Amino acid sequence: MDAVTKRLAPGLLVWAFGLALAWGLPGSVWKGATPPPFPWAALFPAALAAGTLALAAPLLAWAGGPGLASRRPLALLEAPPDLLWACLLLTLWPAAWGPPGTLAWLLAFLLAALPGEVRWLSQAMPSEYPFPQAWGQEAVSRVRRTVLLRLWGRWLAARFPIWLTATLVLERVLGLPGLGTDWFTRVALRDRPGLALWVGVLALLWLLAQPGKGEEP
Amino acid sequence: MRNRLAGLIACLLSALAPAWAQMVEESLPRDPGALDFIQGDSYEQWILQSLAGDALVGLGPDGRVVPRLASAWKRGKDGTLTFTLRGDARFADGRAVTAEDVLWTLQELLRNPKASPTKRAILAGATVGIEGGRPWLRSPKPLGRLLMELARIPIAQRQHPEQGTGPFSFRKEPGAWVFTRREHFLKPQVEGIRFRLLPDPAGVMAALQKGWLSIGAPATRRQTEVPASHRLVTQPMHAQLVVWSHAGPGPLKLLERWRREAFPPQLLGQNARPSAGLWPTTLGFEPRVIEAATPPPAPGLLRLLYATGDESIEKLLLALRERARRDGFDLQLVPMEEALLVDRLQRGEFQLACSMVVFDPHPWAVLEYLEPKGPMNFTGWQHPELAEAIQRLQTPDVPAWRDLQGLWARNPAALPLLDFHSVIWVDRRLQVEPSPLGLYLATPGAAGWRWTQ
Repeated sequence: MDAVTKRLAPGLLVWAFGLALAWGLPGSVWKGATPPPFPWAALFPAALAAGTLALAAPLLAWAGGPGLASRRPLALLEAPPDLLWACLLLTLWPAAWGPPGTLAWLLAFLLAALPGEVRWLSQAMPSEYPFPQAWGQEAVSRVRRTVLLRLWGRWLAARFPIWLTATLVLERVLGLPGLGTDWFTRVALRDRPGLALWVGVLALLWLLAQPGKGEEP
Repeated sequence: MRNRLAGLIACLLSALAPAWAQMVEESLPRDPGALDFIQGDSYEQWILQSLAGDALVGLGPDGRVVPRLASAWKRGKDGTLTFTLRGDARFADGRAVTAEDVLWTLQELLRNPKASPTKRAILAGATVGIEGGRPWLRSPKPLGRLLMELARIPIAQRQHPEQGTGPFSFRKEPGAWVFTRREHFLKPQVEGIRFRLLPDPAGVMAALQKGWLSIGAPATRRQTEVPASHRLVTQPMHAQLVVWSHAGPGPLKLLERWRREAFPPQLLGQNARPSAGLWPTTLGFEPRVIEAATPPPAPGLLRLLYATGDESIEKLLLALRERARRDGFDLQLVPMEEALLVDRLQRGEFQLACSMVVFDPHPWAVLEYLEPKGPMNFTGWQHPELAEAIQRLQTPDVPAWRDLQGLWARNPAALPLLDFHSVIWVDRRLQVEPSPLGLYLATPGAAGWRWTQ
């Protein structure tokens, strides 16, 4: 077994367990309902949300550095659950504008997810005291950039499946069905092949984000 | 020039505005999936199908069978039911409806193992054909039951299970199911209906209060005032919270007493009241009591499985538990995810289990409790006189129904705890006809709605 396979084995085992769970999910539906078709139209908003988050979180972490992880205001922003942001947005949204659309959903998603992701990245950054702080701001910036570039792939791999599925609460409250609603519906309807496909695709994304042969993990 | 252009735009916008205003905005609690007249089987799918399709017969708001796609029907001496189709019925693509379409729909439902289980059960044992250009159907079921059940089967175009003849044409938009009025014999008045997926009751409530929904069910746990733009509409429903007992009728005898005393009116709210009798009184059954059952001795332990997710039901079950405690019984409430509960029910692995049941709008619906393969016969209930008793149920008003209920009352396997009403808010400008079938499923249903302003 080479080094890469050895490194990937525990992760693959977890995904295999997830796949087995999806196939063998217990329970049945009283009156057989057909699972809905995959919401292809939701892919673009999901990609937009994931893309914005994937850029905004590292940029903020780069600007704030590892010190952000212990900032109380960030913790305060991170604390409210998705439901609160969704309900707040719905309450403040003027009735005359009609029901909130995809942009409002994106805003609520960023409000809910961004503080947590910035903290995740900041916490993973090494301390800057005494070095590179002693070498000046330019060195600090360069170190942060290097660290974040190395972190970015693994961070995406770890968090991407969560972003794709954790939008469920926002989708339910705002009435904008997307990928979160899709997997939830498949769980409720016990669409085992559909769920297995979901797990398979997420596992593939994880696998693609892993460093290959010759790349230092 | 600029002023003229602005005026022209304003004219165009004002011309468009009424069209927008005439759309009825609605919500769906669950994704109904793709419109499919063969495989689609859920309450939400039934709403979609009733808008985009026509069954051979319909059910009026009073529950009587009325013509729909068939203008007339005749019963032959051998029990064959022959239908005369309307000449003016057209599919959404403009093609006229033929007997071949009816035959294909019914045969596909009988042939396809993935077809709707509800529709397959309706057609169980039936044979279909065409004679003299008219479709016919022969079934072992009594005529009254068969006709009422046929209202659940809209006719699809041959080889096109997504194509129907209903008063509205359907198109799917991202996150919305849109129905637009079309030329139809029911002459729909409203421009169209747009459904959004809103599974969260808080989301529905906010949308209703902000005027984004023309129709919606308010959250039952809140005693909120109806907004000025809407009015309260209450509809009777054939819906009950039913408890099944795998420990014989003894525990049900206790529950029969507790259900009368357990629920304070403020907890019941506007949409629930304690059930009376064994079968839904809304379907015309007399309230009967359980006969000759010995309740288990106190103190005792009873385990009741229920589906999580409905806060108001959970509170009512807690009230029931408190009532049981006063009699020395520990009623353990075991919450379960809905599909896991269904699994336990179907395997018969429970002492007591409860679930919400929406009955079809005819008395034969209760046979689901009794028939050997009935979808609600979770305890394997049987009786040697059952087959003969069912044979005598030719119409909804024959005395044989009382005899059948007598068989059940001696050894029931299930007992309703609560009867439910449908409480909805409807835009004041929208005129709708409430019925026990809801706003959509009766004939003319949504085709009979109109805006008053």
